[in-house]
Amino acid sequence: MSDAPFRNPGWAGNTGEFDLSEDDVRGATYAGERPAEGRHPSTSASYPFMLVERDPYAPLFEGPHRERYEKIRSRYPTAMAALLPALNLAQELRGHISPETMDEVASLLGLSSAYVRGVATFYTMYNKRPVGRFLIQVCTNISCNICGADEVLAAFLEHTRTELGDTSDDGNFTVVEAECLAACGFPTCVQINERYFEDVSVGDVPDILERLTDELAAD
Amino acid sequence: MAYPYRHEKETRILSECFGDPSARTVAGWKKHGGYKGIARALEIGRDATIEEVKASGLRGRGGAGFPTGLKWSFMPKNTGRPHYLLCNADESEPGTFKDREIIRWTPHQLIEGCLVGCYAIGAAHCYIYLRGEFFETTQILARALEEAYAEGLVGKDIMGSGVDIDITLHVGAGAYICGEETGLMNSLEGRRGEPRIKPPFPAAVGAFGMPTTINNVETLAATPHIARHGGEWYRQWGTDKSPGTKLFCVSGHVNKPGNYEFPLGFPMMELIEDVCGGMRDGKALKAVIPGGSSVPIMSAEDCRTCTLCYEGVEAAGSMLGCASVIVMDENTDIVKQVRRMAYFYTHESCGQCTPCREGTAWATRILRRIEDGLGTEDDLDTLIQISEQMTGTTICVLSDSLAMPIISSIEKFREDYLALIRRGERVGAA
Repeated sequence: MSDAPFRNPGWAGNTGEFDLSEDDVRGATYAGERPAEGRHPSTSASYPFMLVERDPYAPLFEGPHRERYEKIRSRYPTAMAALLPALNLAQELRGHISPETMDEVASLLGLSSAYVRGVATFYTMYNKRPVGRFLIQVCTNISCNICGADEVLAAFLEHTRTELGDTSDDGNFTVVEAECLAACGFPTCVQINERYFEDVSVGDVPDILERLTDELAAD
Repeated sequence: MAYPYRHEKETRILSECFGDPSARTVAGWKKHGGYKGIARALEIGRDATIEEVKASGLRGRGGAGFPTGLKWSFMPKNTGRPHYLLCNADESEPGTFKDREIIRWTPHQLIEGCLVGCYAIGAAHCYIYLRGEFFETTQILARALEEAYAEGLVGKDIMGSGVDIDITLHVGAGAYICGEETGLMNSLEGRRGEPRIKPPFPAAVGAFGMPTTINNVETLAATPHIARHGGEWYRQWGTDKSPGTKLFCVSGHVNKPGNYEFPLGFPMMELIEDVCGGMRDGKALKAVIPGGSSVPIMSAEDCRTCTLCYEGVEAAGSMLGCASVIVMDENTDIVKQVRRMAYFYTHESCGQCTPCREGTAWATRILRRIEDGLGTEDDLDTLIQISEQMTGTTICVLSDSLAMPIISSIEKFREDYLALIRRGERVGAA
C-alpha cells in the first residue's frame, strides 16, 4: 500500500531511509558476471533462466553451453537428474520451452519425449509459449493480497495495456499472477524476469515500466 | 537507519549479519566466527556432533518441528553406499520469507550448516534445492560456494581433515509441492515433484534410492552455532520443548513487517504491538495466521495470551509451522483470503490423490460462490465436510493444509461468511 508508513529496503533503487544501495540489497557486484561455460561445477546449474536476451531458435547445448551442461551432468548419479537443469538452460537460451525443445532435451538425456513433456508441464516456470521480453509476475497470495496486490496487478495490466497472460503489442511485457514469492514482508512483491521488485505500490508501477523500457533502449 | 529487522529485544544468532553486505564473503563471515562450527565438529567427531545437536533440542524449522538430532541419528551407519543431505531452500509457504534472508545476507552460514549436516550423517554430497524464483539469491549463494571451494572449505579434504564433502546447487522451476521432502527428492531426480508414500522413509530410501536426510535452510544454519558452542549453550534460549531462537517472519497489517529473531516462547502480542510497531493506521487486530498459510487461523482473542513456541501456539489452537505470522486487521475480508489460499492449493496440488485434487478445486469454487453473494448456509456444511474428507487421506499434507484454514475460519469467523450469504439473499442474488 502506497501510504504505508514504513517500507523495507526491498524495492530496489528506493531504499528509502536505509543505508543500503540497490547493489547491497541485490548483491549483484558480489555475485558478479558468470561465464557462459559455468565456473565451478557445483554452481553450474544455478544460472538465471528468465532473461531479456533470448532467441527461440538458438542452438542448444553447443560450445560453452555444452561445456556447462557437461559440468552439470557430472554432479548427478543419473542422467535424469540433469533434466531440470537442462530445461532451465534451454529456457535461458530460447525464452520458452517449445515441444521441439522438449524433444531435443529428451534426446540429449536419453529420455522419451513424452516423459520430458510430462515433467516440463508440471513446473510453472517453464514458459510453454513465448512471453514478452519482460515477464512480470505479480504475487497476489495472502500477505501481498491483504496489502493491495490485486490493485498492483490491475495497475500493471492497465499500464502495459494487456490482458492477464497476453503479451503487449511491442512484445515487451507479459503480466501474470504469481503464487507466493517468499518476500511477504515486502508487499507487493513482483518478479520481473530474474529480478525481484518489492514494496511495489500502485504508484510505483509506471516508474518500474519506464525503468524497464529504458533498460531495453540502453541495450 | 539500520536494517529494519532490528529491535533491541532481539536475540540475533542467525540474523546477526542481516543487512551487512560485507558478511557475504568468506573473510567477512570468518570475522563473525564463521567456519568455527564445522572446525569443532571435525574435531569432536560425527557421533559427538549428532549428540550436541540432540542435546540442543533443535527442532526442524521447515514447519513440522521434528527434532533435528534425532532425524540425523536415523541415518544408517557403514552402509558402504552414498548418503545424501538435501537442503530444502524451496521456501514457498505463503507468509514465509526467512530462508531467502539467510541465504542472501549470510550464504556462508548455510554452506557451513550443510557441511556440519553432511559430516554428521556421513554424506559426501549435499544438494541445496533452491526454488527457481530465487535467481538473485541463488547468484549470491553460487558466488559464496565458489569462494568456499577455492578456500578448501568445501570439496576434497575439507580444511585438511581428510573428509570430502561436495555441495551442489540445484534450481527448481516453480512448484510449491517440491518443498515437501519426498516431492523435493522426486524433483531432484528429474521427475514431476509428486510426493512419495512413506514408508520407506528417506533415511532408508531417499534421493537416488540412497539414505537421505532433508533439512530446512534455517535448521542447517543453526547447526554451526550449536556445533561451535555446544547443545547446552543453545538451550539458554527458548522453552524446554522449543529450545533456541527462531526467525519470525511477520507480514500483513503491521507498521514494521520483517524477520525478527527471538527465543521461542516470545509473546505474540508483544511481537505485533511492540516489535512490529503495532497495527497500521491504529486499526484493530482481527486475525492472525501464526505459521504460514497451512495452519489454522487464530482470532484476535486467541492471540492475547499466545506465546510463540511449538507448544504455545498449539495450546492456542493452531500450529507454529515455520513461524510466519500473517497479521490481519479489522477490515480484512476473511472469506476472500481463505478463497485466495484455496486457489493457491488448487494451483499447487500435484493431482496424485483424489481428495486433494478434487477437494481443493471444489472448495475454491464454493468459496468463490459465497464471496460473490451466491452462497447458502448449506455451503458451509459442505465445506466442512469436504475439508474433513481432505484430512489424513492423502500421500502428503497439502490437502490437510487447506482443510485447516477452511475449518478454522468457518469456526471462528462464521459471521463473516453469513454476512456475505445474507447480503446475497437480500439483493436477490441467490
